[in-house]
Amino acid sequence: MSDPVNIRTLPVGTRVVLNSGAEVEIVSNPGDGVWLFGRYLPAADDDAEEMIFAQDVVAVRS
Amino acid sequence: MSGYRAGMVDLASGLISREIFVNEEIYAAEQERVFARSWLFIGHESQIPNPGDFFSSRMGEESVILCRDRAGSVHVFLNSCRHRGMKVCRYDDGNTTVFTCPYHGWSYGTDGRLAGVPFFREAYHSELDRAKYGLVEVAQLCCYKGTVWANWDAAAPPFLEYLGEFRRFLDLILDGWDGREGQAELIGGVQKWLIPCNWKWPAENFSGDTYHNISHRSVDLVGAGPSGRSRRDYSELNVARRLHVALPDRGHQTITYMLPKDHQPQPAYQNSPEVAEYFRHCEAERRKRPGINSRMIGAPGEIFPNIALLPRQPRTLAVWHPVSAHQTEVWRFFFVDRDAPQAVKNFLRDYYIRYSGPAGMTEQDDMENWNYAHAASRGTIARRYPYTYEMGMGHAVENYEWDGLQMPGRVVDLTKAMASEEPMRNLYRRWAQFMEAESWDALMPWRQTARARAAE
Repeated sequence: MSDPVNIRTLPVGTRVVLNSGAEVEIVSNPGDGVWLFGRYLPAADDDAEEMIFAQDVVAVRS
Repeated sequence: MSGYRAGMVDLASGLISREIFVNEEIYAAEQERVFARSWLFIGHESQIPNPGDFFSSRMGEESVILCRDRAGSVHVFLNSCRHRGMKVCRYDDGNTTVFTCPYHGWSYGTDGRLAGVPFFREAYHSELDRAKYGLVEVAQLCCYKGTVWANWDAAAPPFLEYLGEFRRFLDLILDGWDGREGQAELIGGVQKWLIPCNWKWPAENFSGDTYHNISHRSVDLVGAGPSGRSRRDYSELNVARRLHVALPDRGHQTITYMLPKDHQPQPAYQNSPEVAEYFRHCEAERRKRPGINSRMIGAPGEIFPNIALLPRQPRTLAVWHPVSAHQTEVWRFFFVDRDAPQAVKNFLRDYYIRYSGPAGMTEQDDMENWNYAHAASRGTIARRYPYTYEMGMGHAVENYEWDGLQMPGRVVDLTKAMASEEPMRNLYRRWAQFMEAESWDALMPWRQTARARAAE
């Protein structure tokens, strides 16, 4: 099990990896340490903004 | 006439039981009967100017969130997660995109919609109907001249109907000193503090208790007012009529001053020439405007149940939030004209906090009275002896008119009488009606009167 990722201060544009293996780009961060708003990659034109739960984030890509 | 539980509020004799102040069962019943059905003051729109802005407020004992959503609409929500009830907002104010529960992580948009549920797919198998579990929103909301009011009861009348003719007294705070509509803005933060007494002590006091002026003698002697004399500028009193005005069907009451026709502004705010000139100009402008408020000066009053107004010196709203039968959390909001010069705002801020709030000289006098009167009324023996509210019984008049100006409700002219307890009787009459009534249908006699007139 990897160390928990502190998502609270991750800036917009940061790419994170989820436990499903999916990669997400942060589009906004409410800073509550629980949720991120992100877009799944690779991006598609109609990609909607989705809420990403902190426990689903396993790594920071960039 | 006996009112509420066999004479606890007996307005025929003018006696009111101490139990309504100290009895914990009565206090618990008030939360449902009074606070869950009344219009309550939440805050001011100037506290949430931008999308995502929020201010944590209260309704009765309960925490609520005043916020502006992304589309700019104002909402008031119960600050309690729909999953296990945890507060979803634990800050006094700020800006956010979501309110996230720190317990299990449920997350709500600023429009109250449940947006995020951890493990929605895995643990809930995508079967939870998220639309059912948004934040609980108040049944009614009203933004009036910048102030925000809310009510949990959908059957309550709209806010302005609830106010009735008392609106003119609220306007004395919310309109500009020069009479322009809705010029008030909040200055500074909200002062909040706890006092060890029942919430009805300050509510009664601000209903218009002129009898306790002796308590403030030291403040008058030291000259805490904005002209270095007394605690307020009172020069109009030489010519004005000083009144108690009580609206029996609404439960609101106030002191007010009626000025004679063609009255000229009197010197005020003499501690600062710049501020004195500003108010002289505003008072002159106000007198040019049509309407009765140009001839009225506001003074302490109370909007039922727990909102106190003081329109002029200082210009402030206070809310007496119930915490327990024996404790109240006071929130005091101070106002200035938003386009007043900064020097005027600074002067007023200093005067306001010198007068009101936990460190205010006048409010400290009041708290001594409320806190120790409450403590001395809790004992087994003390509870046996009701308080007397007999002062001036039978001496209020209706259809009061002076120098061409009419006043609504039941009026006592204090110019000679000095004091009356008509406003307090009015407060407790309405309180007893709320405690007895099963629904709002029984609390709106004015609608029955209107229907009867229409049927004639």
